[in-house]
Amino acid sequence: MKRRDFLIFVSVTGLSPSIQAREDNRFKKEFAKQKPIIKAVQDHMFPKQSNIPSAHSMQAIEFLLQTIAHKSYDKDIRTFILEGARELNRREKGKFLSMSKEKKEKSLRAYEETEYGRVWLSRIMTLTMEALFSDPIYGSNMQEKGWRALDAYGGYPRPKTRYLEDV
Amino acid sequence: MYDAVVIGSGASGGAVAYTLCKAGYKVAILEKGRLIRREEFSKDELSYARRDLITPNLFDEYHVIEERVDGKWVATPTYESGWSFWNGNIVGGSSNLMSGMVHRMHPDDFRLKSKYGQIEGANIVDWPISYEELEPYYDLVEELVGVSGKYIPHQYEPPRRKDFSQPPTKENAVVKLFDKSCKALGITPLVTPRAILSQEKGHRKACYYSNFCGSYGCSSGAKSSSRETLIYPALATGNLTLLSNTHVKSLHSSKEEVKYANVVNTLTGKEKKIAARLFVVAAQAHESVRLLFNSANRHHPQGLANSSGQLGKNLLFSGGGSGQGELHEESLKEITLDELMTTGLFVNRTILDWYFVDHWWEGRFKGGSVEFMFEHQNIISRAVKNNVEEGKLVWGEALGKRLAKRFKEQKSIRFEIFNDWLPNDNCFVSVDESYKDKYGMPVGKLRIEGHPQDIKVGKYIAKKCEKILKKMGAKNIYSSISASASQNLVAGGCRFGNDPKRSVLNKYCQAHDIPNLFVADASFMPTGGSVAYTWTIYANAFRVADHIVAYLKKENT
Repeated sequence: MKRRDFLIFVSVTGLSPSIQAREDNRFKKEFAKQKPIIKAVQDHMFPKQSNIPSAHSMQAIEFLLQTIAHKSYDKDIRTFILEGARELNRREKGKFLSMSKEKKEKSLRAYEETEYGRVWLSRIMTLTMEALFSDPIYGSNMQEKGWRALDAYGGYPRPKTRYLEDV
Repeated sequence: MYDAVVIGSGASGGAVAYTLCKAGYKVAILEKGRLIRREEFSKDELSYARRDLITPNLFDEYHVIEERVDGKWVATPTYESGWSFWNGNIVGGSSNLMSGMVHRMHPDDFRLKSKYGQIEGANIVDWPISYEELEPYYDLVEELVGVSGKYIPHQYEPPRRKDFSQPPTKENAVVKLFDKSCKALGITPLVTPRAILSQEKGHRKACYYSNFCGSYGCSSGAKSSSRETLIYPALATGNLTLLSNTHVKSLHSSKEEVKYANVVNTLTGKEKKIAARLFVVAAQAHESVRLLFNSANRHHPQGLANSSGQLGKNLLFSGGGSGQGELHEESLKEITLDELMTTGLFVNRTILDWYFVDHWWEGRFKGGSVEFMFEHQNIISRAVKNNVEEGKLVWGEALGKRLAKRFKEQKSIRFEIFNDWLPNDNCFVSVDESYKDKYGMPVGKLRIEGHPQDIKVGKYIAKKCEKILKKMGAKNIYSSISASASQNLVAGGCRFGNDPKRSVLNKYCQAHDIPNLFVADASFMPTGGSVAYTWTIYANAFRVADHIVAYLKKENT
């Protein structure tokens, strides 16, 4: 399966530095727009009162932003994350955020029925799991709460920086 | 001018550089990646196991994979599929990241055609050397590079002179259950030789059972990577110049010899030429082939060392697949759940009973080896793997319950089957001018297809392994055998042989066409055997290095 098949608007490749800077700006603006939708989906998937910490308590949305904005993250999938959120809200005629828990469940399960929606939801879930279970240096999994919930801990030595960057 | 330039610092490049430096020759290693020191290696799952940080970004550098879809060959660049064919572009190469389950090839693997005959659609040939010629080098690797283990005589265990000098790494109590189950089925469990030290040795500390081994660098020096065991000692001789962040774009040659390497600094983009008396290509099979194609010139229009037209042909991966089952408290008799859940200790079990099969009903054929281990302990990937039920994502409270149960109440035991990937006409490397990397060089294009026999053998062995798991009391047992390429186990493409018309290299892995050009990595292998390649790569590179020393001595006189 080609990952580009999931993109409705294929992103432009090979940008010059000035266009790149404009792109980064555009990404931040677009992220700010889609952030509530993505956060609502994360909160629905990883609620409070579960055996694992909630997305909200682990600040998984901040992790998600920092992760997909980092240069190590696939730029096509970055575009797809935003696009899928826009698509979800479009399907629900802009009403996703104001829905009850039950309606959100129905909406997301319907979205999951489409291949596009299934892949997008799976991406959001993976990014949220990365937040909960990565080393705390990445800003989530505070006090190793994600690890403690599963009684599974990262090995030693632990990273001193993010993404193997120099100290 | 250097006596030798070695391209790549993995298992084979390290072995050649070490031997030459010890013999007093001036060597430069050109390594595309950077140096990560022992103390810098952490167990950061996000960085090491989930992002391309120690391999190139696929949008910058990629491969093109050609597979048959509905009868037609379809080419897909890996930046589209996300299927990376890079393996550890750092000093020491992928030997830093291995899990270290290693075996010698069996003497009959060197004469597969004579022993088992030709199989239709496969290009099986005997090797130009025998096990006896490689045996002293297998011994050398065991001592110098370090392989721990325990010798248990078995009809398919290659002959050896003495037991391992280092005992096996410590084992989880699950082996009691495993061994008992095997014995009840008439199967012989063997102890896995492992390229990891169980005891301190020189500058290297013993294994500290971190629970995160494969895919990660070792922080004690116990893992027998090229970096720890060969590159550091070679640097200590004062004869080695290690040029990291140095990517070789092409080799410049006359008709008779390679003169210099055209390299680019991967950080600054600056290009230069590096000359030497001889060149050793050790960039991992598919990349070594690509470099030789990209070095074509008017003297060698089809690529260097390719007068036979065999360059890139008969690329090998590893046949087989894997399977696993869950061990739950209620089925444990010999051991407690606490013992099972103890982290860090190895399973260390190999089965060779089906390495060769000669059965009244099943027939007579070459089989393979099996390794048993726990499921990889990566936390994120285990969580991600367990979020689907009946085709739907599990989320909400149900997800929390599912993960807690999955992580705390059971442990999965896994097997990996290694059988021959039969060489065939539809598995090869080429280059295509229409696909270039960020340096402007054509990328490797890999046509990949396995032989149907590989699947048949894999399935035969998988069925036997599932029986062992069942006997152990495991639940939810499954296995998956496919013709999908194992991108971390690559060999072939520069066959060695005695006939210059049918092989790229001679028996010393020296190009038939160009005497000062050697290829030291796994690309020399005409057939792959049915074990991971690592030990054979190390051993053969030491053999080739001895020949290079003799060659340089002769050149001097």
